[in-house]
Amino acid sequence: MNWISALSPMQWLLMMAIPPAVLSLYFLKLKRRELVVPSTLLWKKAMEDIHVNSIWQRLRKNLLLYLQLLFLALIVLACLRPGWSGQNRVGERRIYIIDNSASMQATDVQPSRLEMAKKKVKELLSDTTGDDVGMVIAFSDRADVRQGFTNDRNRLLSAVDSIEPTSHATDVGEALRAAAGLANPGRSSFDNLNDIMVADAIPATVYLLSDGAFGDLGDFDLGKLKLEYLPIGEPKAANLGIISFAVQRNEDKNGQLETFARIVNNSDDKVEFSASLELDGQLLDASTGSIEAGQESGLLFELSDVEQGQLKLQLDYTDSLAVDNTAYAAIRPARPINVLLITPGNSALETALQTPRVQLVASVRIEPPSFMTDPLYLTATADANFDLILFDQCAPKEMPASNTMFIGSIPPFPAAPVANPGDATDKDRWQFGQPQGPVVVLDVNRSNTITQYLEMGAVSIVEARTVTPPESGVVLMSADIGPILSVAPRGPFQDAVLGFSIVQATSEGSSINTDWGIKRSFPVFVYSAVEYLGGGITESSAPTVQPGWPIGLQLSNRFKNFQVIAPNGEKTELTRGDESRYNFTKTDVPGAYQVFAEGFERPVETFCVNLFSSRESNLAVSDSVSMGFEKVAASGALVQARQEIWRWILLLGLALLVVEWIVFNRRVFI
Amino acid sequence: MPESSLTRSAKPSSTLLTGEMMSKLERMELVSRKIFRGRMKGERRSKRKGQSVEFADFRNYVSGDDLRFIDWNLFARMDRLYLKIFLEEEDLHFFTIIDDSASMDFGDPTKLFVAKQIAASLAYIGLCRGDRVSVSSFATSGSPVVMRGKSSAFRLLSHLEALPCAEQSPTMEESIKRFCLKNTGKGIVVVISDLMNKSGYESAMRMLVAREMDVFLIHLLSPEELSPSVQGDLKLVDCEDDDRREVSISASLLNRYQQTLAGFIEHAKTFCNKRAIAYVPARSDQAADILVNEYLRSRGLVR
Repeated sequence: MNWISALSPMQWLLMMAIPPAVLSLYFLKLKRRELVVPSTLLWKKAMEDIHVNSIWQRLRKNLLLYLQLLFLALIVLACLRPGWSGQNRVGERRIYIIDNSASMQATDVQPSRLEMAKKKVKELLSDTTGDDVGMVIAFSDRADVRQGFTNDRNRLLSAVDSIEPTSHATDVGEALRAAAGLANPGRSSFDNLNDIMVADAIPATVYLLSDGAFGDLGDFDLGKLKLEYLPIGEPKAANLGIISFAVQRNEDKNGQLETFARIVNNSDDKVEFSASLELDGQLLDASTGSIEAGQESGLLFELSDVEQGQLKLQLDYTDSLAVDNTAYAAIRPARPINVLLITPGNSALETALQTPRVQLVASVRIEPPSFMTDPLYLTATADANFDLILFDQCAPKEMPASNTMFIGSIPPFPAAPVANPGDATDKDRWQFGQPQGPVVVLDVNRSNTITQYLEMGAVSIVEARTVTPPESGVVLMSADIGPILSVAPRGPFQDAVLGFSIVQATSEGSSINTDWGIKRSFPVFVYSAVEYLGGGITESSAPTVQPGWPIGLQLSNRFKNFQVIAPNGEKTELTRGDESRYNFTKTDVPGAYQVFAEGFERPVETFCVNLFSSRESNLAVSDSVSMGFEKVAASGALVQARQEIWRWILLLGLALLVVEWIVFNRRVFI
Repeated sequence: MPESSLTRSAKPSSTLLTGEMMSKLERMELVSRKIFRGRMKGERRSKRKGQSVEFADFRNYVSGDDLRFIDWNLFARMDRLYLKIFLEEEDLHFFTIIDDSASMDFGDPTKLFVAKQIAASLAYIGLCRGDRVSVSSFATSGSPVVMRGKSSAFRLLSHLEALPCAEQSPTMEESIKRFCLKNTGKGIVVVISDLMNKSGYESAMRMLVAREMDVFLIHLLSPEELSPSVQGDLKLVDCEDDDRREVSISASLLNRYQQTLAGFIEHAKTFCNKRAIAYVPARSDQAADILVNEYLRSRGLVR
């Protein structure tokens, strides 16, 4: 049994003044009714012995006063908030790990699972004594220590209050590791396994408040941690959730897009639902469907004449978790790619760059090699005005600040950036062999965007040189003599080198080196190269990530500053660094994000953040946490929340008041 | 005066005696347990020897005796003169003293009214039998109204009806003392009182006993006194001396009151029995004719 004062000292003083006041009222007596009687003779005699100890006799006989004092005592007791917990927790360490992942937004318990968890933690906190120290960790797919160890209950409470729901997935491991790191002593040295532990192990109790949507924790070692798993939520909460939503081009019908969604029904009943698809806020299509209990179902929409925009799929179905009833996808905007071709003359290449597909995505400028000495070229390359520069049978003196592709020429390498040129090994450099031929193409890297559709079987090449990329590069095409097409990064840029020329300009004129130029695969290759190296869009569907996860943005090297506009209107300024990919991390809000380039009206990139987690959509509450072979059962029933009885005491006081009233009215008979 | 919640007399005294009651009473007579000397020739045997039909004794003739009472037959036989002595029949003195203190003004009917009824009944019996009837109250004990003969019945009743409840009556002791001083005759004394007298009733009663009177004490109590139905926190005000008592009525207090009352009655009874005073407890809510016809008859006051 312990006590928490509900009143301030001043209020206590006032409270303590009440019983003497009641007593004095009794001594002073309230106004009595006067009654004339024939004689007070008998009354006087009857009262004689009562008057012997008149004060105490009066008290002894006055049941009403006792009842009132008892009532007051009960009120005082209630104000002390007596309560108890199963054990004395002097000086305990407690770590409260609260799940704020997407599934905790479920409203199967009111107001929501997260609020319920916060309420439970507050109940647990009310049970702490002044010596207890506590720590608050919120976790979703990452851990966030909201409040380090402190015995200040108010700080712990405000830390709990500050936990907001997120749309993230669940990963409790990091939170447990953070807790374990504080409770279990670490080695001071990893080299000497026999080192002496510098700190004593501090046992701590971990209260894990979660719905358990995180699966097996693997071989996590709790060590000195005592884990109390408090499941939050109804064991069987029905939910309908979208677990994927994608848009792609219809292979058969040109210009048509199809969107595909997968919807899972995590309930015990068959569910009928309707779904509506919106493009930029306008209703585009709607559909109905039904899913058997525990099954998944697909939903297909066909779209035509849609160039770009943001798609939103909304399930018109009310369930416990709202966040997974909406999914976003974006059709990527077409972005013109600035391409510069420097060639002494290559009709095949020039023709391939004039195809309608290339024209759709790129604007091509063709210049002779002499252009490389032009001041315009120098400023343009220095400012990265071109997304891609194709060097055909020629090479610049210095590598330009843009993506490049060399056809039949050797770039001014070694240009692989290494921190210290002296340390550079062969692995870090491009290596070029001597021209030899004839060459037979053996293999094409199908996993790379540039070469994925290439059919090189019928292509004959007179002579070629091997191009071995640095270790960070990728070989795209191999021939019997070795790699003949490779691509490798150079800082933020990419360089592709083709080991053979299409035509070779000589003093007598052009000589054909390969018949690839007249094959159908050549324009495909050129288009793919322009699209990939120019930072163009290869897929109509914008990438999607889970909330909170970083997304790698392949941003055009033509622009330096970008602005990302989140679905909630939040704007983030991005400045390009050395890397061509930019990792954007502020992806907490589900929805479609747009990236705008400086001085460019249309978005240059768009991506979506969607929950898409069947685990989060499954609201079933796990009744245990498994760690390898160890299982921690739910201890909801064992929560030693502070048991408070002040309400009961007040009720008792009220009952006493009723008794008092009865006594007052009928006390003659008592 | 503080407001009273008890039934204090507001009711004018109705007829003290009904015709039916009077006809019943006419058949009764007052019985004295003692033989007293009367004042006039009456229907009662007297201690005084005199002229009646009842022979008492013989005595030697002394000169001057009435020659009519000489037993001539005895003179013929004994040759000596003897005088025949007869018991004298005289009237009976009947006194009734009504307590007219303020405390008698309670109850429904009031104790005073009932006391008047009892007094009227007994006095009427006396009047019918030719007894000397004296009616007085505590306040008027020095100058009682004396009546004789049935013809005085109206006077008796009108006097009693007009008898007020004294605002400030003398104590019982004073009244009886004055009564004893003024009334030298002996006879039956009926005191009707509630005995609610702070100075006590014992000395007053002793005075009556000392006068060798046949004393009856009718202790008249109202239901309010016998079983009070009060509750709450009260300030009790004595109607006579304005004594104030603060009481919080509780069951235990009521119990104690009952014990006190029983003790009070018991004490009065014992006191009276020791001194050959006939103690007759009575309730004011009891009909007076029942009291007279049945109760007093059983106690031997009337026949």
